[in-house]
Amino acid sequence: MKPQNIRTLSLILSMVSYLLIGAAVFDALESESESLRKKILEQKLNELKKKYGLTDDDYREIEKVVLQSEPHRAGRQWKFAGSFYFAITVITTIGYGHAAPRTDAGKAFCIFYAVLGIPLTLVMFQSLGERMNTFVRYLLRRAKQCMGLRKIEVSMWNMVLVGLLSCTSTLSVGAAAFSHFEGWTFFQSYYYCFITLTTIGFGDFVALQKKDALQRRTPYVAFSFMYILVGLTVIGAFLNLVVLRFLTVSTEEPDMRPEEEREEQGTQPKISGCEEGHDMQGDKEVLETDAGASETGYKDSEDGVRHVTCSLFTVSNHWFPLIGMYLSSSRPSRDGHVPYNERQLFKGSIRPKL
Amino acid sequence: MKRQNVRTLALIICTFTYLIVGAAIFDVLESQKETTQRKELDKRKGELLKTYNLSADNFNELEKVVLQLKPHKGGVQWKFAGSFYFAITVITTIGYGHAAPSTDGGKVFCMLYALLGIPLTLVMFQSLGERINTFVRYLLHRLKKCLGMRRTEVSMVNMVIIGLISCMTTLCVGALAFSHFEGWSFFHAYYYCFITLTTIGFGDYVALQKDEALQKKPEYVAFSFIYILTGLTVIGAFLNLVVLRFMTMNAEDEKRDAEQRALLARNGQAGGHHHSASRGLRNVYAEVLHFQSMCSCLWYKSREKLQYSIPMIIPRDLSTSDHHSGISSVSTGLHSINTYRGLNKRRISI
Repeated sequence: MKPQNIRTLSLILSMVSYLLIGAAVFDALESESESLRKKILEQKLNELKKKYGLTDDDYREIEKVVLQSEPHRAGRQWKFAGSFYFAITVITTIGYGHAAPRTDAGKAFCIFYAVLGIPLTLVMFQSLGERMNTFVRYLLRRAKQCMGLRKIEVSMWNMVLVGLLSCTSTLSVGAAAFSHFEGWTFFQSYYYCFITLTTIGFGDFVALQKKDALQRRTPYVAFSFMYILVGLTVIGAFLNLVVLRFLTVSTEEPDMRPEEEREEQGTQPKISGCEEGHDMQGDKEVLETDAGASETGYKDSEDGVRHVTCSLFTVSNHWFPLIGMYLSSSRPSRDGHVPYNERQLFKGSIRPKL
Repeated sequence: MKRQNVRTLALIICTFTYLIVGAAIFDVLESQKETTQRKELDKRKGELLKTYNLSADNFNELEKVVLQLKPHKGGVQWKFAGSFYFAITVITTIGYGHAAPSTDGGKVFCMLYALLGIPLTLVMFQSLGERINTFVRYLLHRLKKCLGMRRTEVSMVNMVIIGLISCMTTLCVGALAFSHFEGWSFFHAYYYCFITLTTIGFGDYVALQKDEALQKKPEYVAFSFIYILTGLTVIGAFLNLVVLRFMTMNAEDEKRDAEQRALLARNGQAGGHHHSASRGLRNVYAEVLHFQSMCSCLWYKSREKLQYSIPMIIPRDLSTSDHHSGISSVSTGLHSINTYRGLNKRRISI
């Protein structure tokens, strides 16, 4: 069997086993406390029902009102500050649920908002994370130089260590801040920061819900938003460093083109232009340069840059490819290099019939 | 400024703008309903206090108990089925919150579990998604062959269309199923599927919470789990096809910059007087090839010959010195042109 298939199958099996093990452990940890709590609460409820002379139906009415009022308990959720908070939870996929659109129009807009916002955010965090990693790599190299070490190249392990340190400190800083502002314990705050920055976002702990913070404590609101976005960048940078390479592992694709074309190419690396996103220049060496790019693990990931050009052309009309071309230029960037005027391509005679 | 920095800055500005615009629109859509609903609920609460002769404190007591009982309304959440459901919401980062660990041990294990599980799941879904894309590409290629079409290559547009169709289908199938099993309207079930499969997971709608489904309806439980995991794979495949390439753009540019620096250093050693001339030539060369690679792309996409001839001047001599250069557009230009039928023979060398 092909290595990719084996890899995929083993990943599926690992995930299923991981789920089974996790389920068993959570069961062991939480089940008993759950049934105990339920018993106590139901007992308390019966007492209260007797005390106030409520029938089951009466209680159900009260329950309905209480549950519907729950999201309102934390203050206005949909003024601008609250909506901004909500928009963050949508496009970062945190999704606390402390506020969820009630109107059907809100739900529909939420869907469209997410369709465009989530990929934008994913790409943004990865882009910024990569910039941060490059900067850190540069700083570390200078630090090594200053300290007079023999080997000044920054190894992958250095970067991973720095990444882990930054993630831990981000979580700790957040934990300290939120435990102060929200009145949670340090552990609860840490748990909140972790659940938020991994975008799980249960919603059991949600910031900015106490004492009408969204409307009254604007600096704290700004801090929370900045913390979430910066924290996600730090985590994103770490993921970019460690996990992204596994997501883009190049696959040895069977050539889909007909036989004659394959022959013509001979031993040249197969580049299918607009066709497929795989089987790329496996021959490209990873150059060990002074720029400190060595050992960064730049694998032979698929050279998606040129495909972007093609795909963007096809997917949309005239103006969008210009943006796409700008974003995905395959031109080398050099000092004093005058940017090629893309418009010239479309004005004049070269207008493709798409 | 370097291209990567410009790109990153542009993305940051776009995201902030997107957030501000979204916030304004959500404000407009929801704020009024919120105020109206709040007034109504306050009124209702007042009525209830009067009907049942309760003081405000009494009501608060009841309210506290009601809210604490809320997670239990959906049935037992932490037996094996419920824990499995919870584990899924953790490692896929959906995170409904319908059940959240209440013990400190549970919270700690949850964090450790997520630490390993989330990367594993990300890699798994992308891996499986890539396999699915490859398989679909293969099927489409065979289909095109069977249909006797002239061009049997599968283009990106084909794949994107199929991806979009499969995503929509997955959402609709889920919407139908859950609207039937959970008693939601089709739109609400569709909204639930969307929020779940994008891993946002608000928790305003959660499956398997009615009629003790987790304990009593094992087939429905199995269906829900399989639906969530399969749906995430389909979405993951689409993201793998469309979005993943954008995530590696900065790194690609960095790599190319590094290679050029190395090349310049090497060429600098070879002979200084060639430096500026060859650099200038390389600039032009790079432009021409960029132009050519885009033209060839457009030509290919338009699937018909352009009515004018593109100067296919590929200076072979220049290319040898640039063999190791990071100007990958050179090789791309050359090879993307190679890919297309008939052009191979037309390659002109100076």
